[in-house]
Amino acid sequence: MGNAGISRLRAFAARVLGLFGTRKHDDDFDQEVQGHLQLLTDRFVAQGMSQQDAAAAARRQFGNTTLLQEGRRELRTLVSIEDLGRDLRYALRSLARSRAFAAVAIATLGLGIGASTAIFSVIDNVLLQPFPYQDAGRMVFLRIQDSARAQGGGRQAYTSDELLEFAKQNHVFDGVIAASDDLVLYKQAEGVEQLYGAHVTPGTFEFFGMPALYGRVMWPADYQPGAPPVFVMRHKTWMERFNADPGVLGKTFVLNGTARTLIGIMPPRFAWYEADVLIPEAPIRGGATGYGGFPARWFLLGRLKPGVSRTQAAADATVIANHLAKINPQDYPAHFQVVVKGLGDTVVGRFQSTLYTVLAAVGLLLLIACANVANLTLARATSREKEFALRAALGAGRVRLVRLLLAESLVLAVGGAALGVLIAWGGLKLIVAAMPPDFIPAESVIELNAPVMVFALVVAVFTALIFGLAPALQAARRDLNDPLGDSGKGAIGGLRTGRMRDAVVVMEVAVSLTLLIGAGLLMRSFVALRELHLGLQADHVFQTQLPLPDDRYKTATQVAGFFQPLLARVKAIPGVVDATESTALPPYGGMDSKLEVFGKSHTEEWHTLLQTISEGYFRVLRIPFKMGRAFSEAEISDARKVAVVNETFVAAFLRGEDPLGRRINLAGLETLADAVKEPWFEIVGVVADVSNQGLQAPVEPQVWVPFTVTGSGEQVLLVRSQQTPMALMNEVRQAVWATDAGVALAFPSALEDRISQLLYAGPRFGLVLMTIFGCLGLILVTVGVYSVLAYATARKTHEIGIRMALGAERADVLGWVITAGLRLVAAGAAIGLIVSLLLGRAIEADLSRGVKPYDPATLVGTTVLLMTTAMLACWIPARRAARVDPMIALRYE
Amino acid sequence: MTDPGKSEVLQGTLDLMILKTLQALGPQHGFGIARRIEQVSRDVLQLNEGTVYTSLLRLLQQKWIAAEWGTSENNRKAKFYSITARGEKQLAIQTENWERISGVMGRVLRLAGER
Repeated sequence: MGNAGISRLRAFAARVLGLFGTRKHDDDFDQEVQGHLQLLTDRFVAQGMSQQDAAAAARRQFGNTTLLQEGRRELRTLVSIEDLGRDLRYALRSLARSRAFAAVAIATLGLGIGASTAIFSVIDNVLLQPFPYQDAGRMVFLRIQDSARAQGGGRQAYTSDELLEFAKQNHVFDGVIAASDDLVLYKQAEGVEQLYGAHVTPGTFEFFGMPALYGRVMWPADYQPGAPPVFVMRHKTWMERFNADPGVLGKTFVLNGTARTLIGIMPPRFAWYEADVLIPEAPIRGGATGYGGFPARWFLLGRLKPGVSRTQAAADATVIANHLAKINPQDYPAHFQVVVKGLGDTVVGRFQSTLYTVLAAVGLLLLIACANVANLTLARATSREKEFALRAALGAGRVRLVRLLLAESLVLAVGGAALGVLIAWGGLKLIVAAMPPDFIPAESVIELNAPVMVFALVVAVFTALIFGLAPALQAARRDLNDPLGDSGKGAIGGLRTGRMRDAVVVMEVAVSLTLLIGAGLLMRSFVALRELHLGLQADHVFQTQLPLPDDRYKTATQVAGFFQPLLARVKAIPGVVDATESTALPPYGGMDSKLEVFGKSHTEEWHTLLQTISEGYFRVLRIPFKMGRAFSEAEISDARKVAVVNETFVAAFLRGEDPLGRRINLAGLETLADAVKEPWFEIVGVVADVSNQGLQAPVEPQVWVPFTVTGSGEQVLLVRSQQTPMALMNEVRQAVWATDAGVALAFPSALEDRISQLLYAGPRFGLVLMTIFGCLGLILVTVGVYSVLAYATARKTHEIGIRMALGAERADVLGWVITAGLRLVAAGAAIGLIVSLLLGRAIEADLSRGVKPYDPATLVGTTVLLMTTAMLACWIPARRAARVDPMIALRYE
Repeated sequence: MTDPGKSEVLQGTLDLMILKTLQALGPQHGFGIARRIEQVSRDVLQLNEGTVYTSLLRLLQQKWIAAEWGTSENNRKAKFYSITARGEKQLAIQTENWERISGVMGRVLRLAGER
């Protein structure tokens, strides 16, 4: 038995080798044949024939040389190029004859391939290999995780001492670098601008292994004490702030009071720490003070030695951390563990699940597309049974028929792949536009790349095989006489293929409904998010942070001395409605403070959020008052100890009492650098609740007090304008510089943009994509249902004609066809609903609070949508069937 | 066209005949093989001589025979085929196989005739 297998294998190997050197084989053979014929002729001549007769007799005895040559070729190789060319030519000709079919199949495939290529591009660029750095996969950072708290608790920033200790004591890294952030002010002619800077440790550029685009990166000497001060700039900053002017290279900038030379501009994809400027600094024990007077904290990045796992690294780092915790117990939680995270984990995080959900969705889409094309091809193959039988009867071998069908599939697949690449290219632009900016690593560039192209081709070839093989095999298995004898229009024909087509439609409907439900759920969730009431009007509000230099702004008087004239100047700008100071930005509500209410005793500790503002705050954000009044200008300028509280505050601490005139103690104010003595405040007003813990969390009690009571806190300026908020930026900057040329705007933006970016961007992205995929799925399903029904109806024209001749009404015919179609759709919908319920968990994490994966409205809505569309797809062939003229149908025979 | 006195070569038997010929006569070219089969079969078999070459190719692919260019009796270039060790083994197996089958066929046909 094994012998037969081996000999078949040997023949196959010979055939594969036979793919090469075809020409030489043919020549050899010709020579051999000529030799043989000559010998035969000689023999006949010797027997007494004339030369001419002998040659003819020789040829007769030898047989047909051309046929022989062809037989040999077929035996010798797998596919001859000639045959392949002929197959492709036939395929093109036969597809050109049914253009509608080819167009639908190619469009369907193109959509499937295009969508999956686009998404795969995004996933590859964002999740699989976002970083252009050498060995980025081995770059990790350490997080001290408080075991007592969930995900949120912990830190990943270390003091200089800790950093040096980790770098020295570890056994798992072959390189450790760190960065600490710094708001960098640099002087311009008119005033100062603010940049986001990072102090980087020696070895940073060697660690990433990226040379500068222009100039040079830092050398070890640049970190030495006493070295000439230098810095390196990020490409994006150079483009945006300096118009890509090469002249800035080598120039000296005054950064935070130090004159530094710009020595290099990094390539576009270098975005370490997303810092605008990188400043060399060698960490020293004891540590320098960093931004805001706090000791500098370092974000540490290590490169694992080859072969070292994250678990091993965590174990090693835990030993060091335990040692450090003994020295500085106040810096470590009682129980903690060291978590090792990858470089990519700093950004992608939650977005990862969205991308994978979308990938799953796109996989389903591709499945539908394949099913559709399989269906179309299957239907077409069935109606071509006669054609194939004829071809076979005329001498086409089975292999040949299969090859012809495969060639047709290949042509479709190549067309689909080409269209798919186009769609992917356009789709990618769309995705990038919809992509929330802060969700992906700044280093990653989303583009169609080589591996993605390969992926598309693999998908195309795979698809061609899937949908080409089934009908091809079926055609090859058929008995020749069967279809030739069949009239081809009877009801019996192609029962087996009919079942297969039905199954494909059912599957398609199920998958499509699953997609639609996913999209519907995300849409519901997004709408729910939009409907959440912030309690304020964020439109037409410009906001900017104003970091005040510590040396000149310590006390309340100093800060007030800056803001009072600034507010006056800003309000004077044409188009400005109002302006206010604040120490927090909605939807967050400031610092946490302990609370006492005069005359109230309680056992547990009371806490409230505390925010300082100027008198325009509630007007700028349009927060309505429920009781009492806002602060007066006099109260602000005199720094009176008055307070406004929110409704939740009243409900929590003064339920059923009149809050106005009550006195509260805000102990948190005593702990500030510019402490408030005797922090007793009188409540003068109550405002409606405003989100102060982010968008989704419930509102906490909150107190507002005049900003003139303390000089501490981060300062923010909010301006309500009549026009587009960002149009104000230049004038506001001029006003700031007119007040103090040493103050810069930090992170200016429209408040609305900030909020929507913070809260809606991620969900919106998921929604946009899922909606696109849902719609595509719907279109494809409509095509699928239509093509199957149209085909089945066409085949039944004869039967319908007979029925009508026997007295069936047009309405009956309409009913039959539609019922037949809807039966399939209903079966598919039922399966789709079940699958959606099972898969609901997968996207549960992406849904906002209050939207369940089994949201009835969504389930009903999408099912109705699908059924309606499917109904339309049934309607057209049904109407065509009802119009059948019995006479014509019967004569059709 | 077919001569009633001649039989078509049974499918699959040509390979066996060629192997046997090569074993008996040593290296031969296609013409020689055709002549030998014609001679041995005493003109009972009708052979399209071209099919010999298809069979030779099949045997070559199985590495049961080997081929080499040489010179024929009329001083023409011709390919000479010879049986390989592997071919000898195959021939033994096939011969035994054939004898068994033809024995069975003979018995069966005789039985049918005696009824």
